[in-house]
Amino acid sequence: MAVAELNPQSATRGSQTGEVVVSVRGLTKVFKDFWGRAKARAVDNVDFEVRRGEVFGLLGPNGSGKSTTVKMMLGLLNPTKGHIEVFGHSPKHVQTKSRIGYLPEESYLYRYLNSRETLDFFGNLFHLPPGERQKRADQLLEMVGLNLTQTRAVGEFSKGMQRRIGLAQALINDPDLVILDEPTAGLDPIGCREVKDLIIALARRGKTVILSSHLLSDVEDVCDRVVIYYGGKVQALGTLKELLATPDAVRITTPVLPRETMERVLEVIRKDVDAGKIRVDNPTQNLESYFLDVVNKARASAETSGAQSGARVAEYLRAGGEEKPATDKLLERLTLPTAAQKVEEAKPVAAAAAVSDSKLAELTKTKPVEPAPAPATPATEAKPAAPAQDLSKANEKLSSLLGGKKP
Amino acid sequence: MQRTLAIVWLTWKAAFRFRLFLVVTVLLLGAVVGLPWMLHDPHFTAQEFTQVQLTYTLSAVTLLLGLATLWLACGTLARDIEECQMQVVVTKPIARWQIWLGKWLGLLSLNAALLTIAGAVIYGQLMFQSHKLDFKQQQVLKNEVLVARGVAREKSVDAEIEAETKRILQERLAKNPVAKADLNEVMKQIREGLKAEVQGVPPGYQRGWKIDLGVARHWLKDQPLFLRVKFNAAEKSPTGTYATMWQVGEPEKTRIWQTESPLRLAPDTFHEIQIPPDLFNSDGTLTILMVNPNPTTLIFPLEDGMEVLYREGGFGLNFIRGLGIIFCWMALFATLGLAASSFLGFNVAAFASLSALVIATLGTGTLTSAVEQGTVMGGNEETGEVGSSIIDGIAIPLFKGILNLINLAKDFSPIDALSTGRSIPLPMLGTAFAQIVLVLCGIMVIFGIWTFSRRELARAQGTQ
Repeated sequence: MAVAELNPQSATRGSQTGEVVVSVRGLTKVFKDFWGRAKARAVDNVDFEVRRGEVFGLLGPNGSGKSTTVKMMLGLLNPTKGHIEVFGHSPKHVQTKSRIGYLPEESYLYRYLNSRETLDFFGNLFHLPPGERQKRADQLLEMVGLNLTQTRAVGEFSKGMQRRIGLAQALINDPDLVILDEPTAGLDPIGCREVKDLIIALARRGKTVILSSHLLSDVEDVCDRVVIYYGGKVQALGTLKELLATPDAVRITTPVLPRETMERVLEVIRKDVDAGKIRVDNPTQNLESYFLDVVNKARASAETSGAQSGARVAEYLRAGGEEKPATDKLLERLTLPTAAQKVEEAKPVAAAAAVSDSKLAELTKTKPVEPAPAPATPATEAKPAAPAQDLSKANEKLSSLLGGKKP
Repeated sequence: MQRTLAIVWLTWKAAFRFRLFLVVTVLLLGAVVGLPWMLHDPHFTAQEFTQVQLTYTLSAVTLLLGLATLWLACGTLARDIEECQMQVVVTKPIARWQIWLGKWLGLLSLNAALLTIAGAVIYGQLMFQSHKLDFKQQQVLKNEVLVARGVAREKSVDAEIEAETKRILQERLAKNPVAKADLNEVMKQIREGLKAEVQGVPPGYQRGWKIDLGVARHWLKDQPLFLRVKFNAAEKSPTGTYATMWQVGEPEKTRIWQTESPLRLAPDTFHEIQIPPDLFNSDGTLTILMVNPNPTTLIFPLEDGMEVLYREGGFGLNFIRGLGIIFCWMALFATLGLAASSFLGFNVAAFASLSALVIATLGTGTLTSAVEQGTVMGGNEETGEVGSSIIDGIAIPLFKGILNLINLAKDFSPIDALSTGRSIPLPMLGTAFAQIVLVLCGIMVIFGIWTFSRRELARAQGTQ
């Protein structure tokens, strides 16, 4: 079995000191037919731990065992072998479930209830008093953008709207552990972004989030650590930083430079790197950012009968944790010091983000940057300290882009 | 409790949103209002029509509500599991037994509401119809049907008949040994012969009954009593009726009442004869004498040939107690459906529970016959031994157990009691509740919760 265990005790807040929220040891699930004959080994001897405050991703192609693992965590399936503990108890321990929020892979909600009744019903299962149920339902409906359609039956909702009400019910109890199975499936890009922001906001409040998905971008945007499944087995396990780092490449992004300046920069670089290894292009905005920009502009002048774009994260879910913008989470994650670990057998994909972890780590090093060698021609009038100054400016710019804070 | 009540609320919501409540209510009201209209016959007396109306409407309500309950019970749990909503519910802090109990209580409360609606309409209709009658007819109706009457019967002589049967058998065996295989048949013949002696009144003979009214004698002073009589005749009468002469009372101890002329009665049907008050002695014993002037024997069955009916209470409370027993049956149907759907899919659960119900209602004859014969395999013709095979060793006790369980629910006949104006005393309702709800439902509730708690709910794939 090719497992890349990348020191799970490092790199993220949750994994450094937090209590173990979910412990999975030797977990195996074999589905059998009526006669007890094995039909499929859905999960095969899986081990991992999820700690408090982590956003933990279960990643894998369809049928790889992610949902089966989630369902065993929730007591919906019984393990054939192995052991699961959630908050130190069996997954079937009833009181432990008051600390868990679960969004299933499909909208498994009562189609004849409207969204307010749905939240009220689940609030009752958490023994919430009527006033509190009402308050939370109001906030959640506003958060998921369904406050204008709260009297429509859930069965009449579009798939995306059903995901939104599903997400709201998963958060009615302000859970300590949120298990989200394909949370962005069926959501529009705005909804996807909101869900990801919400996950980050929850993690900032010390909540643990387990995210099962086959959408790599979802996982990459929010997860601290991931486990990658294939054929029911764990193929890789570790922090994103460890799995995705490409320490042998650097990207510098600047405003458009005059041709002469560009030539000078390239000339300096060519002294250390073969020309064939240097790539110059215009950074493109990703489609998600572009789409959000367009819709945000359109929202000001148009109305919709569907789901509204979600408002702020529900107040009881924020609890003072929203003073920082959501991107701070990413910045914090990217800039945390980590011990470099060797990836065993894992095949990380090269990051296509504008700012790589390794670059930021390098940018935030405290040791002085070595001066660049003297320019080849006096016409460039380059000063030895100039590269260091450029890096400092780039650092400031990056910080600004990532939330306006200096690292 | 809040969690269980949330499931109860959910069950109600589903019944309303899927318009089941509305449809069942309309069907019930259609049956309750439509049946009397369809059954109306100008030849019926007010009592007869009321009896028919009560029998048919209550039977229709029981049938309709029973089927709806069974269907809903199977659907409310099995559908939730098949459509995966249950996967979300069980991940909340609610124990599975609470979910099961919530569904059960939801069904029971729905049934209570529907039965109340149907019962209120039936009662209102009866009262409305009775108020349209003249005073005399109203009084007759109130005395004979819209009333709760206690029943007194002759002391059972079953034990004496059984003892006498054995004594005669022993005598015959001593004189003329019989093969073992025929013993049961011989005993049956002796028993029937003895019963015929007690039940039959030959031509020109008389038959007496001494019926103890028990503690009821204290409140029966100045109250008229009713003799409820049924007999069979050995030979057919050309007129279809038979003359009977009656005397009630004990000479020199009580007042005496006699029929002035022979009372002609039809066989094979129940007749009610009103007798004047205070004909029983100080011990509460009512002495009845019947003379048979016909040229054929009249047979008064031991079970229901002669009953004395007396007023015990009003119709309203009796009707409510009757509905209470029907409600116990509904609870049984709800439990059966839920227990089946705890481990089966909707279609199979509905089929299985419906089949179980049909077998329990109609198919007990075969079981009874096997238990009476002591074998399902047949006896050994040569040795006369029965019930010696391994299969019999398992099947007969099993059949006995099943019959005992079924009889726990079948021991009650509230519709018959209500339509004949007989009392359904509170202890009977209590017994029905204990036998049907506590014992039968209790067994199925435990089984249902146990299987539901062990079931892997995420094996179901969503079908919505």
